[in-house]
Amino acid sequence: MNIQKFKVSSLLLILLIFFQAGVCMAGGVEVFKGEKGILRISGGTAHIPVMKEAAKKIMTFNPDIQIIIAGGGSGAGIKQVGEGLVDIGNSGRKATKAEIDKYGLKMYKWAIDGVATVVNPKNSVKSLLSQQLQDIFSGKIINWKKLGGDDKPINVYTRDAASGTRAVFWKKALKKGETTRKANVVVSNGAMKTAVNNDPYSIGYVSVGFIDKSVFAVTLDGIKPTLKSVQQGQYLIARGLYSNTKGKAKGLAKKFINYLLGPEGQKIVREKGFISVN
Amino acid sequence: MKTNFTDKDLTDKIFKSFSWVCSIILVGAILIIIGFLIIKGYRSLNLNLLFSDTNPLDALLLKKPVFDGLFPAIIGTLLLIILSISFAVPLGLATGIFLAEYCPPQIKWFFSLLFDILAGTPSIVIGLFGFSLTIFLHHYFYSRIFPCLLISALSLAFLVLPYIIRTTQVALETLPLQTRLTAPGLGATKLQNIFYVLLPSSMGSILNGIILAIGRCAEDTAVIMLTGAVAVAGIPKSVFSNFEALPFYIYYISSQYADQAELMKGYGACLILLFICTNLFIIAHFIKNKLSKRMLYRL
Amino acid sequence: MDVKEKILIIVFYGASILSAAITLIILGFMVVLSFPIFSEGLFFNILTKPWSPDQGLFGLGPIIVGTLCIALLALIISFPVSLGCSFFVGILNPKGLGRHFKKFVELMTAIPTVIYGFVGIFLLVPLVREIFLKGSGLCILSASIMLAILISPTMILFFVQSFKTVPQNYLNAVDALGGNIAQKFFYVILPNTRKGIMTGIILSFGRAVGDTLIALMISGNSVAFPGSVLDSARTLTAQIALLIAADFESIEFKTLFVCGICLYIITSSGVLMARYSTKKKRHHI
Repeated sequence: MNIQKFKVSSLLLILLIFFQAGVCMAGGVEVFKGEKGILRISGGTAHIPVMKEAAKKIMTFNPDIQIIIAGGGSGAGIKQVGEGLVDIGNSGRKATKAEIDKYGLKMYKWAIDGVATVVNPKNSVKSLLSQQLQDIFSGKIINWKKLGGDDKPINVYTRDAASGTRAVFWKKALKKGETTRKANVVVSNGAMKTAVNNDPYSIGYVSVGFIDKSVFAVTLDGIKPTLKSVQQGQYLIARGLYSNTKGKAKGLAKKFINYLLGPEGQKIVREKGFISVN
Repeated sequence: MKTNFTDKDLTDKIFKSFSWVCSIILVGAILIIIGFLIIKGYRSLNLNLLFSDTNPLDALLLKKPVFDGLFPAIIGTLLLIILSISFAVPLGLATGIFLAEYCPPQIKWFFSLLFDILAGTPSIVIGLFGFSLTIFLHHYFYSRIFPCLLISALSLAFLVLPYIIRTTQVALETLPLQTRLTAPGLGATKLQNIFYVLLPSSMGSILNGIILAIGRCAEDTAVIMLTGAVAVAGIPKSVFSNFEALPFYIYYISSQYADQAELMKGYGACLILLFICTNLFIIAHFIKNKLSKRMLYRL
Repeated sequence: MDVKEKILIIVFYGASILSAAITLIILGFMVVLSFPIFSEGLFFNILTKPWSPDQGLFGLGPIIVGTLCIALLALIISFPVSLGCSFFVGILNPKGLGRHFKKFVELMTAIPTVIYGFVGIFLLVPLVREIFLKGSGLCILSASIMLAILISPTMILFFVQSFKTVPQNYLNAVDALGGNIAQKFFYVILPNTRKGIMTGIILSFGRAVGDTLIALMISGNSVAFPGSVLDSARTLTAQIALLIAADFESIEFKTLFVCGICLYIITSSGVLMARYSTKKKRHHI
């Protein structure tokens, strides 16, 4: 963690303690004392690192609670929670009005995230314009040479239909433009990072929280996608990370979401590279 | 096929070297695959791989949950095997006995066609069936049915059922006539003959089939990824819970690893799974060769 | 026959009907659940259009082509090698090495497919990318190479088994006439085992079509019609694995059952063909 991040987060932490003392009391793992049962979570893959860490903390504190975490993508999360297959369905996009009306979903936003275009660190192309990005994904530009890189074909990577990351990227970066059918399809943010890291001539997109030195986040229209630029509203391909429940959250699900929104949960959110909301 | 042998020795040589080259290619490919896993993964084989930072004793006694370790995945795979084999074996044995001993030929033809088709059905289709069955039951019967260990085990049981039926049937049918006729000659009923003579005599082959079925349960990924295997579940507390499993873990890590340490665990998991599957196979081989002969004398 | 035996026979019979029913129930489920596709007149959409659910196009054509390309290429790679290996086991058998080699091949059947996929991603895919310097390495060729290794034990064991069915006196006759091994193979063994070899090929084709993990992990999963073996492609099995997370009331999800039916048809017609040809062979002998 760099110092900047640390400063911001400690400041936020202090603010939290000031303003939300009441919530804070209920924000730690202590609230899970004496609880028992299974909590099923599925959906957005960007959420998984945070979910895992939270589950680890909670289950270590109280082994009687079993927290099950599956991926599947935002679409799956919303659908499955709506159908009652899971208790919490995560999504990296807002549930549509139709989805909310149909299932009576309640959304809880616990982090802010951006979606960054990424290339392999070895790639000499370090910045793109929106139009270029759209042309790459639609298959109009097919060689890195045209963008000032090596004379190599561009390997486009995209996500499956259930992905919230794809939905956000498609709407805000590609302006709902077409994606070439030749694009390779991967199933999660983690898989995208792996694929781009392994392929020197690749281009893809991941959640900003997933960016590390294995992939390079391309500067888009002169703005580098970082936590800071997302937070300050300069980088526009941003989104919330949501946990959805059918109706108001009850029981374990409620406690889990409160935990995420509480100081401990928000600390995990920041540790995992996202922007906390509280 | 028309081949001109102008030079007999040359064709002979080509033929022989072709055989050698092909065999070397195949053995080489497998050695490369296994060698690659061993070279990359042997360093990760330690207790930390299984239990991460949890105390092994606490984990084994289920006192503390294990995170980032293979322990829950191994237990999940184990439970999955036990459950699906306990579904498939009784059903498969009964069906195999019926086919070999009681079934009229016309029906036998039809039944064995169906079992051949089931044996050829891709596991993902069976997984899709298991998944949609779950959704169906969830919707129309009981809303607390989810994809879970039970559903996965049932689907896997469908997958291995034809193996067990087939080995039972073939084992019974290929018994020597002498074995088959002795007991009835001494006044035993057909049923007594089956249970006291035929089944014990063919136990070796049947066990062999069952162990191969266990291997199939241990390695299959497509079925369980559709019917309840998840990234994080801990030790399943009931059959209605989701679970972790070794092959799914390997698939998951291969696409989602966050850092080199996690990838190393993937290599470790590959080695463990490979070890389990090949050893099951070797045990099956041993039983087939040794036990089948010994069993005959134990009568 | 006493009551106990009667009851047990009924139990056995019931078990057989239950097991047999599973096969039919699986097919029935697929047909019923994919029925909306056909009743809504989407059949031609599926046959002719590309796959682009956002635009209401649900064509499975590219995916079926991808499946067949990958499986066929795997066969093309695997067949000569398997044939050579089965010569080695069944005909050449130098110093009894054939027996050990056969054990090795049998052991290969125990290697989990997910391991082939895993090694494929981290060893083969980078290699293919470096060698051909085109594309990402996630392509038909990579998937086919791994599938070829996966299906070769099936083929080899089948070939070896069918070589064994050639009567020994035929082989002795060739030796007595001073024929060499190649002649023995081309003039005696091959004509007598053509059907057995066909069966082996058909069954391993079914195996290649039905495998999920290798294709899902290393074929790239793009939905365009593949233009070369270095292009990425998606198989029917991978399509099911990728879309299982989709909304299960959507049309996309319902097309999965069409994929299921396609797979079911391909593999079961393989089984039918294999049974037919082995039946015929038995008549000949």
